[in-house]
Order: sequence, then structure tokens, then C-alpha cells
Amino acid sequence: MLSRRSTLLAASAIAAVVGFSLPQAAHAADQVVKIGIDASLTGGDANEAELVKNGALMAIEEANAAHVVKGVKFEGYVLDDGTATAGQYDPAQAAINARKFVADKAVLGEVGPQMSGAAKAMIPIASWANLAMITESATNPAMTDPQNAAQYRPNGKPVFFRTVATDAYQGPNLANYFADTLKVKTLYVLDDSGAYGEGIADAFQAQAAKKGITLLGRDKLDPKAADYSAVLTKIKELNPDALFFGGVLQAGVKVVKQVYDILPHTMIKGGGDGLVGGEIFTAAGYPAAEGWYATQASPHVSDAANTKDFVAKYKAKFKMSPDDYTITAYDGTLVLIDSVKRVKEAGKPLTRENVRDMVATAKVPTLQGTVAFDENGDIQDKVISIFQAHDDKADTACKLEDASCQFKYIGVAPQS
Amino acid sequence: MTAVDVYLQQAINGLSLGAMYSLLALGFTLVYGILELINFSHFNVFMVGSFIGLGMLELFGVMPNGAALTGFALVGVLLATFAVTMLGSGVLGVLIERVALRPLRNIRGPASMITTIGVSYVLFNVILLSVGADAKNFPSPLPSVSFAIGGAVLRLREILIWVISLGLMGGLTYFVQFTKMGKAMRATAQDPEAARMMGVEVDRVIITAFFLGSALAGAGGLMFGLYYNITSYVIGFQAGLRAFTAAVLGGIGNVPGAMLGGIIIGLIEAFASYGFTAFGEHWLGAKWADVIVFSILVLVLVFKPAGLLGRLAPNKS
Repeated sequence: MLSRRSTLLAASAIAAVVGFSLPQAAHAADQVVKIGIDASLTGGDANEAELVKNGALMAIEEANAAHVVKGVKFEGYVLDDGTATAGQYDPAQAAINARKFVADKAVLGEVGPQMSGAAKAMIPIASWANLAMITESATNPAMTDPQNAAQYRPNGKPVFFRTVATDAYQGPNLANYFADTLKVKTLYVLDDSGAYGEGIADAFQAQAAKKGITLLGRDKLDPKAADYSAVLTKIKELNPDALFFGGVLQAGVKVVKQVYDILPHTMIKGGGDGLVGGEIFTAAGYPAAEGWYATQASPHVSDAANTKDFVAKYKAKFKMSPDDYTITAYDGTLVLIDSVKRVKEAGKPLTRENVRDMVATAKVPTLQGTVAFDENGDIQDKVISIFQAHDDKADTACKLEDASCQFKYIGVAPQS
Repeated sequence: MTAVDVYLQQAINGLSLGAMYSLLALGFTLVYGILELINFSHFNVFMVGSFIGLGMLELFGVMPNGAALTGFALVGVLLATFAVTMLGSGVLGVLIERVALRPLRNIRGPASMITTIGVSYVLFNVILLSVGADAKNFPSPLPSVSFAIGGAVLRLREILIWVISLGLMGGLTYFVQFTKMGKAMRATAQDPEAARMMGVEVDRVIITAFFLGSALAGAGGLMFGLYYNITSYVIGFQAGLRAFTAAVLGGIGNVPGAMLGGIIIGLIEAFASYGFTAFGEHWLGAKWADVIVFSILVLVLVFKPAGLLGRLAPNKS
């Protein structure tokens, strides 16, 4: 038998439970919209994957907290396309992930993938399901090229959008910088045999030729091989003014390290956004990394005034410093959320097709500026930023693993 | 650099690679010679060895890109690191034999070999989960001393790799040829039944083979780290496959064959990656190195299955 006091306690406990659970019960009635997030969380690019994944999750969390879309609760559905066996992104795993997204009816859009090689495997599957994908960093131009429509738009409309520019700008614009500003006359080009690495190296090489730079040679590296000394010895023999490496970190770290061991330290060295990662500094480290140029296919906004709040919140929440692709991932998520919102406002049913149509016509204010896409899914404002690794010993706040401050911003690359 | 310098430099590159492959190939050969078993877990014992070495060097306070050691400190740190790494890897090899392979010893067919592949993946994933996926900067206590031979550069780390490999291979040859245990190993390799009847403790021989092979793999892993200043959980597969090719090329089961095979594969890899210029065009190159190395594996298996120095073993079954 309950005493009076315990009755009172029990009653207040029930009241508390009911009181707290009421608004939640109302929320439970919200429609759950899942946003697929695919990144290469295992392998050589894991650190950067963590950054972009958190960027997307943060946008989702903020949208839920602010009830941006009435009656909709967003959820992130994170999948990893990196495998232990590949040591980096694995196209086969990416295809499995795409099927998982498509199989889950609540998934109305995807942020990612991070890598072009993964995107190539995912897009055809997403196309049949009309699932809009917005990548934050897959920059290979082939995927949005209308010539490849049969492969990447089998269902007709483009489903693949980017909040970054492509290697069709990234490679050539850096080549312009090499020719115009650094006065490079002779060049050697390496790539890591991946979709991204090959593409950006080709684009760089073509523009360099147009600018009158003589190509002394081109080689493909096996990203899993440990030893590049034979190729680098060949480059030493040819002694070019500059070396360009197209590829991601698995090969990149070893290239940076062995280039320092073998080639003259005065040689100009550069790569694309695939080199922008903390591992360059933790695994290759200074002095090997010193002087390497790299690009990002987005405006450099991670230390601009308008992103201060974002950066501070992100750092507090995840204890990591966001880089520019964290911001493009965040922006891409904003675009998806905004598209869901406009579908709702237009009174249409929330289907993948309707969300895709809204993404295609999006005009969303984001951290990097207003994001809008052209008819192929590419971002309209294409900006390539150039960075150079420099060991600033005076800057003790900049941690070694933090690529966003180890790579010092140089400026916007000249567009041709 | 003149053409001669380049070839000299590629020979230096190739010999250093070859020294590492040789050490790794010896492990395949020792175990195969006695058990007729291809031990695929050997790949990742090599990888684990490099992480044991990394841990030891950090314990000694050697930091990536930190100050180099000299004199007695350098020799002491290197000796201790090699000793611990080899002991640790050796014990790992013995554990693998004891836990995963001994229960299968009398089962015919490929069960043991498939088990070694399983063990290999266990090691691979244990390291992936415990140290993470990113490559690690390998601390090097070596001063960056180098000698110029014409236009070619010979660095201290290359000399170190050659000296240590030669020392270990010499030690192993002495052990196999001139000690009682070595004699027992050779006897077991020839005919385990007869050896057992002559009073050889076959279990001890097998354990010794696993210990020695794994210890050499561990030394190879540590040398990999010291040479490239980098390690990660994926290094075992590539190096292991090439070393396996080397063992087959030299004649699997044959100790000098493994050493020779390793050196040859290392040199081939270096020169194939470099390629050559003829008829105004550059031929081969880095993308061809794997094609050539593994074509050799196929060709040797087809045309000279006993390898360069091996003899076809009579069918033991």
C-alpha cells in the first residue's frame, strides 16, 4: 500500500514523464527523412572523411533543432565506402552503399561521396532511383559531362550535383599558376592510377602543354606499392622544373616523403585537393611536406569572417578544425534540406524525384555563397584556391594534423 | 645524372628492396621446406614487426623527424630494437603455429594454407583497429649521412639494410648448416618420418622454423620502417606477395634460393619501374613493375616449378 508521500512522489514522477514525453510524442509523428552520407572513413583518407561527415551531420542537427522543415525530422545515415583491403575508397563498397541508400525508402538524398572513384560506382545506381547526390569533394569532371549521360544518367535527368568545382578547373588553373607565376618550363607528371588522380593529372598536363610547358614524362604509380624510388630516380635524371602529382593520400604520403629523399629540394611540387589532408603532415611530415602546392576546388572560406560561428561551433562539438570541404559538405546538406522544404511548401509529396527536381533548381544561401547548379549538376560559381604547405614554427596553435592551417592560403588560381 | 649514374642508382634502389624481400622470402622457404605449407600469415607478421619496431623506437624516445642519434646510442638503440622486434615477431609466429596450425597438421588438403590466410586477415584487422587506418611516420634514429658515387647517392640507411640483411642471412645459413638443430631441420625437410625415427623432435623443429622465419620477417618489417620512414597496416600484402614470388623464383624450400630470388626480384622491380629508352620512346615504367614481377611468378611456376636453385622434391605422400 502506498503511503501518501510515496503516492505524491509517484504522481509527480508520472507527471514528469508525461510532461517531458508529450512534445516528443508530437515529434515522433514527424516524418523521418534520411540523408545518406557516404565517405571513405577507412583507409588513407579517413581523417578528411571524418571532417566532411561531421559537417553534414551538423547541418542535419541544426535543421532539426530549428525545425526548418515543419513535420520533418532529418536523420543522417552514414556509410563507409573505404575498406581495409583497399586501404582507401573501394568502388565495390561504394556500389553496395548506393544500393543500401536506394533500398531504404526514407533516404531522399545523399551527401557525398568524398571520392570520384566511389562516385562513379554510385551514380548509375542512384540514377535509377532518382536519388539526388550532392558531393562535397568528388571533382572528376566525367560524372557531370553530358557526353557520359548514358553512363551517369541512365534514367534521364542528372542526379549528381557538386558544391565544388571540378578537376577540369582544378588541374588547369594550377597549371596556369605554375606557368604564369612560378615560370615553370619543364614538367613531370605522376598519378596514382585512380579515377580522380588520373583525371586531374590529365587536365593539368593538357593545360600545361597549352601554356608552353614541356612535358618530360608521365608515370602511373601503384598506390599500394611502398617504393617509388625507381621512378623518382628517373625524374631526378630528367631534372624538370616542376613535378605534379595527381592522387589521394595513400600514394600521396609516400610520394611526398620519397620526393624529399630523392629529388632536389628546390623543385616545384604540386598536387590537387587529394593532397590536402592531415596525413601529409603526420605521416610524411616536415621537412618533406614543406613547399608542396595543393588546391581546393572551392573558395577558401574556412577562415573567412562569415564562417567564424560555424568554425567555432564545429570545433567545440567535434574537437577538430573544419576544412573547406567540411564547409562544402555542410553546404550540400543545406541544399538538400532546403529542397525538402521547398517540396513540402509546394504541397507535393516527398519523393526522391521531387527532391531531385528541387535540388536542380536550388538557389540556396550557404557558407560559401549562393549555391546553384547548371543543367549538368555542376556548381555555377567555380573557384579554385591555391595553398602551399609551410612549417610556421611560430604558429603553435596550428596542430600538425590540421591540414587546414598547415596549408597556407595563397590565393585564387588564375582561370583561363 | 649520366646514364651510368642512373643505372647505378637503380641498382642501389633494387638491392635495398631485394634485401628486404630476401629476409621475407626466407620465412616462406623455411616453413615450406619443412611442412610443405605456404604460410600466408607471414605477410602480416612482417607488418606487425614494423609496428613492434615503431613502438620500441618510440619507447626509446626516438621521434619522427627528431634529432638523429650517433655513436653508441645509435648502435645500442638499433640493436635493442632489432632484438625486441625479432623476438616479438618470432613469438607471434610460434603462437600462430601452436594455436592455428598444429591442430590441422595431420589433415590433408589445403586446410592449413587457408587457415594461414585467415590468420593473416586477423592480424591485418587487429592492427587496423588498434592503431587506425592512417599511415604512421616511422621515427628514424639514423643520421642522414650519404656518399656520392659519381651522380648516384648511397645513403647510410641503404648500407645499414645491406649489412643487417647479410648478417641475418649469414647467421641463418650457419644455423641451418652447422648446428644440431639446423641438421635436424634439414633432416625433417627431407623426410619427417625418417627424422622422427632417428629421434628428431619434429614439433621442436617446426616451432624453430616458425620462430626463425617470423623473426626474419619482423626484422624485415623494421627495416621497411627505417628505410621508408613510414608504415601502415597495408604494407604486408604487397611486400609479402613479392617476397613469395622471390621464394618461388629461387626455389621454394631452398634457403640460398630465397636470398637470391629476393635480390633478383628487387632489382627487376627497380629496373622495370625505371624502364628504358629505345627507338626514341620510353618503354615500361612504374605501372609495369607489377606486371613483370608477377609474370615471372607465373612463368617460373609453368616452366621451372622447382625454381632457380631448387630441386623437385619427391612426392612425400
